[in-house]
Amino acid sequence: MSFLTLTNIQKSFGPIQVVHDFNLSIEKGEFVSFLGPSGCGKTTVLRMIAGFETPTGGTITINGRSQINLRPNQRNIGMVFQAYALFPNMNVFDNVAFGLKVAGKPRAEIETRVKEMLSLIKLEHLADRYPYQMSGGQQQRVALARALAPKPQVLLLDEPLSALDAKIRVSLRDEIRAIQRQLGITTVFVTHDQEEALSISDRIVVMNQGRADQVGTPFEIYNKPQTRFVATFVGTLSIIEATVADPAANTATIGTTTVKLTEPMGNVRSGEKVSLALRPEALSLTQAGGRDHSVSGTVEQVSFLGSVIRTKLSIGGQTVSFDMFNDPSSKPPQVGETVVAYFSPNDLMIVRD
Amino acid sequence: MKKLFAWLALVIGLLYFVLPLIGMTRFSLMMRRGELSFDAYVKVFSDPRFQNTFSYSVMMAIVTIIFGIVLVVPTAYWVRLKLPGLRPYIEFVTLLPLVIPAIVIVFGYIRLYNTSSWLPLTGTAFGTDILLMFGYATLALPYMYRAVDTGLRTIDVATLTEAAQSLGAGWTTILARIILPNVLVAVLSGAFLTFAIVIGEFTMAALLNRPAFGPFMQLLGANRAYEPAALAVIAFVITWGCLGLIQLVSRFQKSASRPT
Amino acid sequence: MSSAVSGTKAQSGAGFRLPLHWLGVVPFAAFILLFLILPTMRIVVGAFQNPDGSFTLENIWGLFTPSILAAYWISIRISVASALIGCLVGFAMAAAVVLGGLPKWIRSPLMTFSGVASNFAGVPLAFAFLATLGPVGLLNVLLRSNFGFDLRMLGFNLLSFWGLTITYLFFQIPLMILIITPAIDGLKREWREAAEILGASGFQYWRYVAFPILLPSILGTFALLFANAFGAVATAIALTGSSLSIVPILLFAQIRGDVLGNPHLGYALAFGMIVVTGVANTLYIWLRARSERWLK
Repeated sequence: MSFLTLTNIQKSFGPIQVVHDFNLSIEKGEFVSFLGPSGCGKTTVLRMIAGFETPTGGTITINGRSQINLRPNQRNIGMVFQAYALFPNMNVFDNVAFGLKVAGKPRAEIETRVKEMLSLIKLEHLADRYPYQMSGGQQQRVALARALAPKPQVLLLDEPLSALDAKIRVSLRDEIRAIQRQLGITTVFVTHDQEEALSISDRIVVMNQGRADQVGTPFEIYNKPQTRFVATFVGTLSIIEATVADPAANTATIGTTTVKLTEPMGNVRSGEKVSLALRPEALSLTQAGGRDHSVSGTVEQVSFLGSVIRTKLSIGGQTVSFDMFNDPSSKPPQVGETVVAYFSPNDLMIVRD
Repeated sequence: MKKLFAWLALVIGLLYFVLPLIGMTRFSLMMRRGELSFDAYVKVFSDPRFQNTFSYSVMMAIVTIIFGIVLVVPTAYWVRLKLPGLRPYIEFVTLLPLVIPAIVIVFGYIRLYNTSSWLPLTGTAFGTDILLMFGYATLALPYMYRAVDTGLRTIDVATLTEAAQSLGAGWTTILARIILPNVLVAVLSGAFLTFAIVIGEFTMAALLNRPAFGPFMQLLGANRAYEPAALAVIAFVITWGCLGLIQLVSRFQKSASRPT
Repeated sequence: MSSAVSGTKAQSGAGFRLPLHWLGVVPFAAFILLFLILPTMRIVVGAFQNPDGSFTLENIWGLFTPSILAAYWISIRISVASALIGCLVGFAMAAAVVLGGLPKWIRSPLMTFSGVASNFAGVPLAFAFLATLGPVGLLNVLLRSNFGFDLRMLGFNLLSFWGLTITYLFFQIPLMILIITPAIDGLKREWREAAEILGASGFQYWRYVAFPILLPSILGTFALLFANAFGAVATAIALTGSSLSIVPILLFAQIRGDVLGNPHLGYALAFGMIVVTGVANTLYIWLRARSERWLK
């Protein structure tokens, strides 16, 4: 049974439509991310769930109840903002207590609940501090505690980690996920960082220009992208332009190599162009792991990324990137070198636009 | 609902401001019994005392502006460039004329620079004029300094200076031909504000007994009925004009600095 | 003084810093010293001096006569009244324009007008109000011809405490608008949204979040408005002649001709003014710094 349902959501600002035909069902306790570039509409949809924007068309229901006529302060939703939005005139305790105070809860109950929340985010010792005395990471955790204190039915996070340093971002996203699991609260998380979305979500909605391009688990999104946008936005991808060789045999030629694709090409004719995508980890310098096809190319660029070495190969005029783990005992490829890279046709994805 | 209250607050507030402006304008046109006329203005403009005091104040304003520019622009520039640590102190000092009332400052002048002191400025009319000019410059200092400092903030002073120096420019050249043109808008804003302040200033001019426009207005107010209203209208128009020019000049800068 | 400081600077630096840097601010320092600091110091020192130059507190005690205290008291009352009303009305108008959902094009002209009105003080302002609220002023004429009464019958006299206060509002309100509008602008949209999503009503948001955040700015501007009114003399003179005994007028008369009978009492009077405006402005700066610290 869907807990949070968005049906046929449309949103226009004047003549410009920013959200088209958005449909989504979220189960209770699920962690869903909206992933996409700036301007794709993900924040707009989130704000419509919160009630700060009204959909031009479509409905939103939470736990069976339509939210259409409810103001944001009537929806019992918790929200964490990108800019923390902690009240600067209140200390941590009062900030976290705010939702309970405006609901008129008795003092004792507020104290217990706030202490509970502060221990959840492990910041009991900062209860008397003011926002300007805390780091960004600390402020955001307090913002999370504040949002969760009134026991909301849904938690919304609007790019909560974008303003933080890289290291804090990684540790905080894991913490957010852990807390969410512990409380079992239905959560929507908006981000433009695909690593974030992939690492902590149950499901991801990849959005592009106001539409949901694909909805699926991180595994599905990454390994089975359904559109060119999803394929290129999520993870690194090399797109190879191949030519259809034999539609019946489902083969295509890349340069001089002919490959038999596992994925059916569908209704194509011989000689037509088809775009194939290959993840960098699918290529290897060794033949292991069922990599029975190979291409040979010249090394264009080598980037040492720490644990991974990313090499760009020029194959017949096209650039393909492949990754290999850093091995201190062997030398990375040199620019200008000719190498043979092996891959399996199973890893070739057909890119549809 | 919120909008209703907002409109109400705004309209009632504006009423308070519009009424006196209408009042003074109407009064200024009522000199001739029974009909509206510009008689009061004619009387005022043809009054030799008006012409004398007004031109005196205009002259003083111009001299004050020039002095203000010559004093403030190099100082603000120098502080920004070489002595950034001094900035808070300078800013504090430039706010002092807003704290110490003008009447106290001019009282200090009279006591300090009278005929029996080491710098007997009040002994001569010219000396008193100089003193008054310094007084005006002090009153205008907060506005002039803030305008110029804001203007300097938007240009990269250090880089411009280094570039000019590497091309062989000396300090005067840098100031006159590189810095000043770039902060011209800010300087003009300060200048117009100074003009408005000097034209209307009363306390210092009255206590130093100089023939300025402010004391003249007060004198006329004590003796006449309709001409003061005309003067008030003139003064208001001048103030509005000065601030309008500031807006104009600022808008010009915004369009000039827009990336092409 | 400056050469000693520059000497230490040269030694404490890497040795490259020439004291010449400080030469650049010498003209400015000289100007400030001669025409701001020294005259003020002269007054302050003079307040504690006898005619023969010896130290005394007589002048200060001399301030505590009924007439002078009354002058200070009425000055304070006028300043408080015009500052208070100026704050309330100015805040209402600024809030109306920034938060009230009014058309966007209203804001800029209002700001410009506030700039003009806050500078339209002194003698012309008095004339404008005489022409409006005076015995034959616009308002009285309108009221008389339409309703058969006028302000005088209600006991209102322009040349009085309330008359001066209402006149002062003409530059107090715009000053409040100019200063508080950026502060209201600084109320981040996220705070309102965060409060709303946490269940707060509009009133609760204002009571617990917005107003407390604005309070330092409001209080600070109140102090500024107070100091502004306290030191104003031109409007008062033009309006009331010298009939209303506020401190600046008293000082004015004292400077013109020793009406108090003791020249050093004038110093004390001026010193008293500096103390009052100094305290008020310090309060303004302190409160503003506090609010800026919160809002970073």
